[in-house]
Amino acid sequence: MFVKPFRYVRAESLAQACEVLRTADGTAKVIAGGQSLLPMANLGLLDLEAVVDIGSVEGHRGVDENDGFLTIGALTRHRDLERDPTLIAQQPLIPAATSWIGSARIRTRGTLGGSLAHSDPAAELPLVMTALGAEYELTTASSTRVVRADEFHVSYFTNALAEDELIAAVRVPALGPGWGWGFAEISRRRGDFAIAAAAALARVADGHVVEARLALGGVHERPMRLADIESATTGASASELDARIGPVEGLQAVSDTSATAEHRTHVARVLALRALTDAVRRGEAA
Amino acid sequence: MSEVRTSKLDELRVVHQPLPRHDQAEKIAGTTKFAGDLAFAGMLHACVVRSQVPSATITRRDGDDARRVPGVVAVLFGEDVPNNEIRVDVPGQTVVVGAFRASMQVLATDRVRFHGEPVALVIAETEDALAVARELVTIEFDDLPVVSDPEQALAAGAFQVHDGGNLLAEWRIDRGDVDPAFDRADVVVEDEYRTQFVDHAYLEPEAGVGWLDDDGVLTLRVATQVVEHYRDVAKILGVPDSKVRVIAPYVGGGFGGKEDMTVEPYVALAVWHTRRPVRMQWTRNESLLARAKRHRNVMRYRTAASADGTLLAHDIDILSDAGAYAYLSALVLLYSTVHACGPYRVGNVRIRARTAYTNNPPTSAFRGFGGMQMVLGYESQIDEVARRLEIDPGEIRKRNALARGDRLPVGQELITEVQLAQTIDAVRERAGGKPTPAGPRKRTGRAIASNMQSYGRLVWLNDSAAAWIGFQMDGSATVRCGVPDIGGGQASSLAQIASEILAVDIDRISVHFGDSALTPLAGTTTATRQLLMSGNATYEAATMLRDGMLGAVGDETGQAFDSLRMTPQGVLGPDVTMPLVDVLQLCRRRSVPIEALGTHFGPKGREVTRDLEGGRIFPDFTFGTHLADVEVDIDTGEVEILRYIAAHDVGRAINPLSVAGQISGAAVQGIGQVLLEEVVMQDGVNLTPGLFQYLIPTATDVPDIETLILESGEGLGPFGARGIGEPPIGPPLGAIPAAIADAIGVRPTTLPITPERVLSCIAAATAAAGVRGASQEGAKS
Amino acid sequence: MSSAHEVETSLKVNGVAVKETAGAHLSLLRWLRDIAGVTDPKYGCGEGVCGTCTVLVDGEPVSACIVLAAQVDGAAVTTAAGLCEPDGSLGPLQRAFHECHAAQCGFCTPGMLMCAASMLGEADHTLERHEIREGLHGNLCRCTGYGPIVDAIDAAQGSAP
Repeated sequence: MFVKPFRYVRAESLAQACEVLRTADGTAKVIAGGQSLLPMANLGLLDLEAVVDIGSVEGHRGVDENDGFLTIGALTRHRDLERDPTLIAQQPLIPAATSWIGSARIRTRGTLGGSLAHSDPAAELPLVMTALGAEYELTTASSTRVVRADEFHVSYFTNALAEDELIAAVRVPALGPGWGWGFAEISRRRGDFAIAAAAALARVADGHVVEARLALGGVHERPMRLADIESATTGASASELDARIGPVEGLQAVSDTSATAEHRTHVARVLALRALTDAVRRGEAA
Repeated sequence: MSEVRTSKLDELRVVHQPLPRHDQAEKIAGTTKFAGDLAFAGMLHACVVRSQVPSATITRRDGDDARRVPGVVAVLFGEDVPNNEIRVDVPGQTVVVGAFRASMQVLATDRVRFHGEPVALVIAETEDALAVARELVTIEFDDLPVVSDPEQALAAGAFQVHDGGNLLAEWRIDRGDVDPAFDRADVVVEDEYRTQFVDHAYLEPEAGVGWLDDDGVLTLRVATQVVEHYRDVAKILGVPDSKVRVIAPYVGGGFGGKEDMTVEPYVALAVWHTRRPVRMQWTRNESLLARAKRHRNVMRYRTAASADGTLLAHDIDILSDAGAYAYLSALVLLYSTVHACGPYRVGNVRIRARTAYTNNPPTSAFRGFGGMQMVLGYESQIDEVARRLEIDPGEIRKRNALARGDRLPVGQELITEVQLAQTIDAVRERAGGKPTPAGPRKRTGRAIASNMQSYGRLVWLNDSAAAWIGFQMDGSATVRCGVPDIGGGQASSLAQIASEILAVDIDRISVHFGDSALTPLAGTTTATRQLLMSGNATYEAATMLRDGMLGAVGDETGQAFDSLRMTPQGVLGPDVTMPLVDVLQLCRRRSVPIEALGTHFGPKGREVTRDLEGGRIFPDFTFGTHLADVEVDIDTGEVEILRYIAAHDVGRAINPLSVAGQISGAAVQGIGQVLLEEVVMQDGVNLTPGLFQYLIPTATDVPDIETLILESGEGLGPFGARGIGEPPIGPPLGAIPAAIADAIGVRPTTLPITPERVLSCIAAATAAAGVRGASQEGAKS
Repeated sequence: MSSAHEVETSLKVNGVAVKETAGAHLSLLRWLRDIAGVTDPKYGCGEGVCGTCTVLVDGEPVSACIVLAAQVDGAAVTTAAGLCEPDGSLGPLQRAFHECHAAQCGFCTPGMLMCAASMLGEADHTLERHEIREGLHGNLCRCTGYGPIVDAIDAAQGSAP
């Protein structure tokens, strides 16, 4: 491991960290869990003057429930997302998807904000946030703003964050009555980056879909909602979904050493069907 | 004494016991000092700067900016290497390149031929200084054409990777009358099989520490399978062989990847240049980029059989990718050639095998050494013959199985019993009924595959190994043997053998191993040879020692030598019981040695020529059969291995735990090659230089490997043992594709069998079924 | 807010307090190995994917290669050596590894042990073999084929690590 020395800054607040970022002119990076940044540093891919650790910042952790919405602190670790009783009860898609992230070690250290800010198109959390229509609360030393997930994630490792901006919290709706959820993922091995993944939500009445939300990850340059497939499911029962939904179209799938674009596109539909089917079945039972 | 050895189970006390290995306790306690764990105060650190392009002329090298980094001690280039050349023997060749000795530079001076080739060496006081300085070494290139694959390399007008042409080596076998055999065949099957570049991916990346000892001997303590590389290091430095010493501590996995030199020349140069202790640890990225890989093979098989399933003839063409430098490619290809027909009797065989230079990473030794790739070819072929003739796959294998006294196509006669049929029966009996699919979109399949793999080095290499055993006066014993222990229990098995013969409790035996200066040289831990060679050397030393001591007791007491035995209670005879410590005192009084050096010489043979008509080529072979149950998801192409059973005849299991461990580990490594692993090269650039991209099996990718140890009771190793390190890696290449074929109707022929390739096979099967359905045949696929 | 290239880090490593000043860029793995001289966690990939550097930080498993020592200042770190009995003999989980032949080359073993210790420590029921395999998926072994490691963890269930 050839890591060039850098300055280590331990921030006591997000505002302090943002201020360091503002003055560093692109030569500083924030570290929360460090599960994406430090592998890159070890590979010699980062040239940093400073690393700003926000791991000791107080607050910004845990889940608050308010008026049908859940607000999750950006410093909440994956491990805590997986086990949080409020999430398990109110929005189980998030714990279920989180359990697919890497290994237990990654989930011990990795944080919600870190994963979203890294904006890996194959990552689970940006995908479920896109499916849920989550809102990200972004902060600088002096201001805050709210950006929707589908506006936030732009492309490979590229997002709407300004250079001196951090994610402070994420707001998602709780799972409403009659709603079910589904999550499906395929990777070459357990814990690897997804070849493709699908997150689905469906509101079901009398065994038929009233409305559905479906997002795919790992295929396109960012997680994508698939409106065509969503609308095609309206009125379908779980067993009718396969006949209703067409091929996945409109995504520019990537080819890499895990899978070709053609394969990604093929399994994307398989996963969409599996996630939707699970969502409808759960919606029926809800 | 015949070179075939045997043993009777009821006479064994320690050998054949499933004893936890003595080296494991320290490894589990975390106290074992691997190559990278040793540090000296004031030690320097070194790293290699590598080519980022696969094929280029070097136009400029400049280390001045790097030298100015605080803490940097030196930046070395090829001109700073006393003898900047590593030469490789390429035996038996008439091709232009192979007829000479192939060579490569320690540090490239004017030309690079693969992505990752070493160009400069940076030495610094700290790893932090290295991190900064390595990026400041300037190396400029003029790109040259890239030769991406061996077919391209051998095409007319191809760019020459080395002067003299891209054909590095060629082997041929022509036995019997091949063409008439095809003419009279009832069935002829033909296909092409492709394997991929594979990385050893041991968990311990290459590492080592070097220092100048008090006596001026340059000492390297490195992760290696070959302490005899001290000779190569001495040549590079231009010093007598006696001035270099290599110590192999316990090695964190080898599999052939630490058979060629890795860090050795660079640590040696850094120590030589600075006269200070130096440590070098390759990153995983370096390991995956720069260390030699398993050859990818293109294998074209045409096979003739008669209606009763008798194999009549093989016509085989093999082309392997030698990568950028020769390394052991010619020998690996020789193994491919000799193993190409598998464990079957085939009277008429024509093989043409070639290996060609490309701008890919060098390829060299890897568990199974060219023999294992061929399993994909010969097992697929025999399965296809069986399918066409509607013969059971087990039955056709038994019908064609080699037996003692048969000659291989290369001319070698088999001198030990072959229990191939028993391994087939064993896996089937264990397996019971075929599993049923877990859902409507799943298909299950079952298949077996057999193989043979040599153990011991090529006979013309005049192999030998030495081991020394000495008693301490308290009755404990010390074994010294130059064997490197790479995790297979190489050192531990020597203790077990010595304990058996000398009747000393195994806990009272210490084994000192892997030191080219202080332990008798035992040769390389490669080629599944250490149990055969060091095991026999230890056996012979122990026997010599025991017989001398019994002789002393006989002379002292007047008892007949043949009536005396070494037992845990001491020497016992009809009228004598003498505790061991008394025997040792007696030996001292009578000037009888209480130590002995055993040297075991391997079988001999003539050096081969290109046309391989020499006769014996290997000491002997190990045979086995695996059975795989798979389930295929026909929507995603994912393959799950539901059960995996592996049976091998090991002659005699010295330690059944170690044998089972070798079988289980090798099977999983083979499964990894079949389903997951590939070093992906694109125009000479490595696209899989990390363990996120290079995918080895995890605990969730494989089931428990059910190992069945068969013991024919004879082999060339001590007590009738056969080598088992390499053989079990081969059969997965036959069993898994065949099980997938059983599930979905079409056999994959290219590795790795990714979900995508499975889906292609399903599509092909569906298309074929459509044709069949239309023609009302309805035959089952 | 503090800011420096060199930082003082205090860790309790296998029960022993260690306080050293070192480069802030050092991973916990390098800090343990090169500064504290604790070499049982191994470098295998530097990307947190192979598991050979698995240690427990305040009882939770982490990849020591992708955590800065500075990030975990003040924590209790347990490595495989910390599973030994006070007299240096093997602890119960380690004895199970020994008896089940769960180590061959031994390079992955310290990380495997910590993964196993964490898995068993968190389990609220007796784990099935497939659950043990699931828990091991982030730790690579190239020698054993995993079966003996699963055997060992299975055998160690119910006894304290």
